[in-house]
Amino acid sequence: MRVTEQMRYDSVSNNLSQLSARQAKAAQESQTGLRVNLPSDDPIAAAELARLSASQAQITARRSTITAVRGDAELAESSLQQASDLLATAKDLAMQGGNGALGAPERAMLAKQVKDIKEQLIGVANTQGSTGYLFGGSATQTRPFGNTGAFSGNDEDHVVDIGNSTPSAVNASGSKAFTAAAGGRDVFADLDSLYTALNTNDTTGISATVTNLDVSRAQITNEQASMGITINKLDASDSVLGALDLQTSTRKGEVGAADPAKSYATLVQLNNSLQQSVTVSKSILDLAAFKQF
Amino acid sequence: MAGLTQLLNVARDALTAQSYGLNVTGQNISNASTPGYVRRVAQLQTQNLGSQSGGGVVAAGLKRVTNDFIERREFQATGTSSAATARDQTLASIEALFNDGGGTGLGAAMSDVFSSFSALASNPNDTTTRAKVLAAVGAFTSRANDTANTISQTKIDLMQQAQDTVLQVNQRAQEIAKLDMQISQATMQGDDASDLKDQRTQKILNISGLINTHTFTDGSGNTVVQVAGTTIVDGQNARTLSLDMHADGSLKLLADQSGGGGSEITQFLTGGTLGGIKEARDKDLFDVSSQLDQFVFDVGTAINTQHAAGVGADGGTGRNLFDLGSTATNAARDVRVSVDVFDHPDRIAAASNALSLPGGSDNAVLLGKLFDSQIAVGNTRTAAQAYGDIVGSIGSTRANSQRDVETQGAILQQVQSMHQSESGVSLDEEMVNLTKFQNAYAAASKMIGVADQLMQTLLNTVGR
Repeated sequence: MRVTEQMRYDSVSNNLSQLSARQAKAAQESQTGLRVNLPSDDPIAAAELARLSASQAQITARRSTITAVRGDAELAESSLQQASDLLATAKDLAMQGGNGALGAPERAMLAKQVKDIKEQLIGVANTQGSTGYLFGGSATQTRPFGNTGAFSGNDEDHVVDIGNSTPSAVNASGSKAFTAAAGGRDVFADLDSLYTALNTNDTTGISATVTNLDVSRAQITNEQASMGITINKLDASDSVLGALDLQTSTRKGEVGAADPAKSYATLVQLNNSLQQSVTVSKSILDLAAFKQF
Repeated sequence: MAGLTQLLNVARDALTAQSYGLNVTGQNISNASTPGYVRRVAQLQTQNLGSQSGGGVVAAGLKRVTNDFIERREFQATGTSSAATARDQTLASIEALFNDGGGTGLGAAMSDVFSSFSALASNPNDTTTRAKVLAAVGAFTSRANDTANTISQTKIDLMQQAQDTVLQVNQRAQEIAKLDMQISQATMQGDDASDLKDQRTQKILNISGLINTHTFTDGSGNTVVQVAGTTIVDGQNARTLSLDMHADGSLKLLADQSGGGGSEITQFLTGGTLGGIKEARDKDLFDVSSQLDQFVFDVGTAINTQHAAGVGADGGTGRNLFDLGSTATNAARDVRVSVDVFDHPDRIAAASNALSLPGGSDNAVLLGKLFDSQIAVGNTRTAAQAYGDIVGSIGSTRANSQRDVETQGAILQQVQSMHQSESGVSLDEEMVNLTKFQNAYAAASKMIGVADQLMQTLLNTVGR
């Protein structure tokens, strides 16, 4: 085969060009730490990375949701604890009022305390969180319990997506905790009954409220327990999502990240190859018979 | 006496012939780097002096060392390689649009929309959270619009590039026809037409980079150049190509007819820059556009349907989040934030019914849950899967294109190497030839000196 100068130049040019391109690619991989810098680097991996990124964004959003609603859930739970404590106090007052040694004036004083408890309980039932009133159902912007304890809210759930197959309710039900709407007792009416019985010195009536107050308190405690379960569910979901997030990050790394040692070794190898190629190219281009003439 | 005169004549012819050889060698050396130059070989032959023996040498001309088969292979390989390169350049720019590595692409914008629904569910009555939903929807539509517009602009640019390419093909065809005429005239006048032939071959090579080209010599000795299966140069006659568009916007290549109008040859357009442009514009970009439009339409429609089922904070229902057409056609280009909700965060339908206002969040949850639902590609893929499919598809197309560029480039290099080996100038070889002709010239000069000395010897002897 005849070998011409142009063939030598072309060969040197092509080889150096190809080697330079490979070296540049290896340098990019080493610099970015990524094996997939463009979809064409590995189309299957790039498609999976796109899906994983979207999934991870959704995981992050769900964890943010959990963080956002957890504060209100905790506030609702502690408010219900306060409500429960207030009812316990009311029951104590009822027990005192039932003591036959007391006279009407003492019972009237106890009635005044019951009235205060009711007002405090209305305040607790109207607690506001980051999303509005906590015990009004979906009527978050309207005070759910009036000054008499009349309920104007609803029993709608506040649902969010925390990664479960079905939406999760994260609010406490003021309707179930404080009203008779769900077949329970009207807590405020029970306090009213106690107040009236104490005020009218009706010992039979006072005794009758004790049991009712127990049921009312149980009703609040049940809702509090329900909130505890909700908080646990939020924590459990956050934990699962956290593990999923880590797993997704790991998978993204497996799919798209470059092996640093391998990348660096390849880069060094190609740098050396390029250097050798330049040296060899120089020798090839120096090969010219006319220089000897 | 006649013998000495003959010796002088032989020496004179030798000087002329070797000088011619030196000229040809010099020409080769001078043009060693000239693109398209084909090496020449001086054709020296014995001069017959009738019945007498010992004839001299004569330069009978020169020979262009070419191989038609290799030349045709080079035309073909150039066309195929140029097509692959042109296509790959377009795909490189489109691939960058779907490179979501930095988290700023359409995929990230889509994720932000679904994330905003999750945030909305956690605080449905918050104005800022509602505004963020609108912002995310706006960012998604802007990103879809930008991507579609870039693809659309690329199509326009490619059309312009195709027009320029056709113009160049027509110019080269005219030049080839003109060169054919000059070659014909030079040959008839007995002149050397090697330089003109070099130029013609170079022009054909140039055309072959623009469009798939085939050449042959017809029975009359004319060079026929065919592009996209159509004769564009036949001897001294050149035909022109023109470009138009089909109703669907795809390229339409026409070969002009003598009676007016043009016959369509698009289906035979397979190579050269023009072939690569057509492949990229009418196949690759069309596929990407279709996938993108379908994706935006599917995601937008699913979200619209769910959103319309809900109720805004103002009690209104049946509203869309996106303004979309009734079909996927141009959905990515035309999608906008719906006028139903634009600048009205309160109209975002977080609740599923008016009774659950203002804190109802169940519709926001259902909107967010669409992320996990198979809402795309005929309800067979989730939005994230569908977007991943697009990324994978483009990556795969580009990777194939890159491999094509490498393969066709290697084939072209091989053919160019064969061509160079056959027709290129080897300076080593020319240096040997230079020495050969130089020595022969010196020897011929010496012959004249010897003949002169013999003549002087004879004259001195006779004159005494």
